[in-house]
Amino acid sequence: MPIPTLTQSIVITLVQCLLVVIFVFVVVPLTVFAERKVLGYLQQRLGSTRVASGHVGITGWMNRGMWKWGRIPVLSYWRGIPGLVADVLKLILKEDIIPAKADRFVFFIAPAISMVSAVVVFAAVSFVPGVFFTFPKWFPFVGGLPVSGGIADINVGLLWILGVASVGVYGIVLAGWASNSKYPLLGGLRSAAQMVSYEVPLAISLLAPVVLSASLNFGEMSARMAVGLPFWGLVPQILGFLIYLTCGFAETNRLPFDMPEAENELVAGFHTEYSGMKFGFFYLAEYINMTVVAALASGFFLGGPWLLPFGLQGLVNPFLPAFLSWFGEPHAIFFVVKIIFLLFTYIWVRGTIPRYRYDQVMSVAWKYLIPLALFNLLLAALVRCFA
Amino acid sequence: MEHLLETIGRNMFAIFGVMALGSAAFMVASRSAVHSVLGFLFAMLCIAGCFLSLEAEFLGMAQILVYAGGIVVLFLFVVMLVEMSKKKEKEVFQAQSRYAVVAVLFGAAAFMGVFRKVIFGTASVEALVLRPELAQGLNVAKQNAQAVSRGLFADYLLPFEILSVILLVALVGAVVLAKTERV
Repeated sequence: MPIPTLTQSIVITLVQCLLVVIFVFVVVPLTVFAERKVLGYLQQRLGSTRVASGHVGITGWMNRGMWKWGRIPVLSYWRGIPGLVADVLKLILKEDIIPAKADRFVFFIAPAISMVSAVVVFAAVSFVPGVFFTFPKWFPFVGGLPVSGGIADINVGLLWILGVASVGVYGIVLAGWASNSKYPLLGGLRSAAQMVSYEVPLAISLLAPVVLSASLNFGEMSARMAVGLPFWGLVPQILGFLIYLTCGFAETNRLPFDMPEAENELVAGFHTEYSGMKFGFFYLAEYINMTVVAALASGFFLGGPWLLPFGLQGLVNPFLPAFLSWFGEPHAIFFVVKIIFLLFTYIWVRGTIPRYRYDQVMSVAWKYLIPLALFNLLLAALVRCFA
Repeated sequence: MEHLLETIGRNMFAIFGVMALGSAAFMVASRSAVHSVLGFLFAMLCIAGCFLSLEAEFLGMAQILVYAGGIVVLFLFVVMLVEMSKKKEKEVFQAQSRYAVVAVLFGAAAFMGVFRKVIFGTASVEALVLRPELAQGLNVAKQNAQAVSRGLFADYLLPFEILSVILLVALVGAVVLAKTERV
């Protein structure tokens, strides 16, 4: 295998970054669309259907027919997708208003911090172990070189993920402060307290996989958690997954923990004063953060690029017949499918569970989740010690 | 191209160092307290970059996680709540700046005195190897989390535990101070 020069390896890294950005910018708008639709169906309505494609006439006619039969028209699942383009155009073209009394520099930099810290987490996420694909020979400049499944699968990847995710708090807090107005400030303060509190059980729940897999590297951890554990490893993983997911909801400010932007209390929370693409950045950052949390959950608890969750793959693999061996190997597609399922779970939970009160949110974190996460860590340590 | 990139890669430490110093100067000089906190945040991230350029990945990440993610958030929290808009408060804090300059010069001189040989001499820095036998069988550049943990939990276990007790004392003290009215 040829060894790339420095320039070539930088080009390969840029290609990887491009792939991740494409992945994110495909998944995020579809999640936005899915949120409207799934929430709609959860609440027994159709979701967004107005902006449809050129077949408005035909689909409309077929829809009417299905209504006449007394069925919910299947075609309405996909109606409304062109509305995404309209949404993006609206965000880009809308007038960008800066309040007169705002701190201009901080007002400008806050959405950037949110966005950057959300995207940069993906640097340490490894989508598939080893080589993702190899450039074909005819490719200019980097032909024949392998592209690995993670951008920078560093030794301390987990710390990178936690560290950068904690920098994301600044975006929200600074936005709240820089707007120089009451609702954003209250939203920013709430979210600072909430995110800092929930980082604690989140980190502790991620320590259980660290203890079990004896590594901090994302790729190694997901591999060992998926196929390297005896079945004792299952127990702390399931509990840890539930704790992690709860904290993940709180970290990304999603319902039932959406304190920073609780509409009926704080108008829109920290981004009340934002408009145009600056608001768009917060919006994007929220959904990218959801994707990140889903990626971590699937990597550490749901078996990452392997098919089965909670380390079941390692137990099943020896008994897998030869013609099914494809399902015993890691594939990026499994990873992506798990991420998408978790994104669906976000919407599902949003449509199901009402919002907590603010003091309840804090007491859930400090009184229940942290002791539970510590118990889970103890469980993991016992498993590691005796099994 | 290749040559240029290699030169940049070799001087990464200097680049991050200059950026850290610049943002630290911004932090001291800026009028608004929130801008100062932003400068401090950027300085912390640049110092993490310095650690990374020395292949001390664990320290760099701990720097981001603890300082940028934890401590500076608390600073920001306090600064946002205690808006220093009154002239009197400003005078109180800005009067300290000349002493701060003296302290910085003194600190820089002391730092130079200690690390003169490392900076100007030919001796290379052996990162993280406290006792060579602790690093046995480890590739320190690749596994420095393991190397640090061996140092902490084998060589310096007692000082490490005492430090954590000191932190606990500080924590309990803070709780007591905050709770005095109700007791």
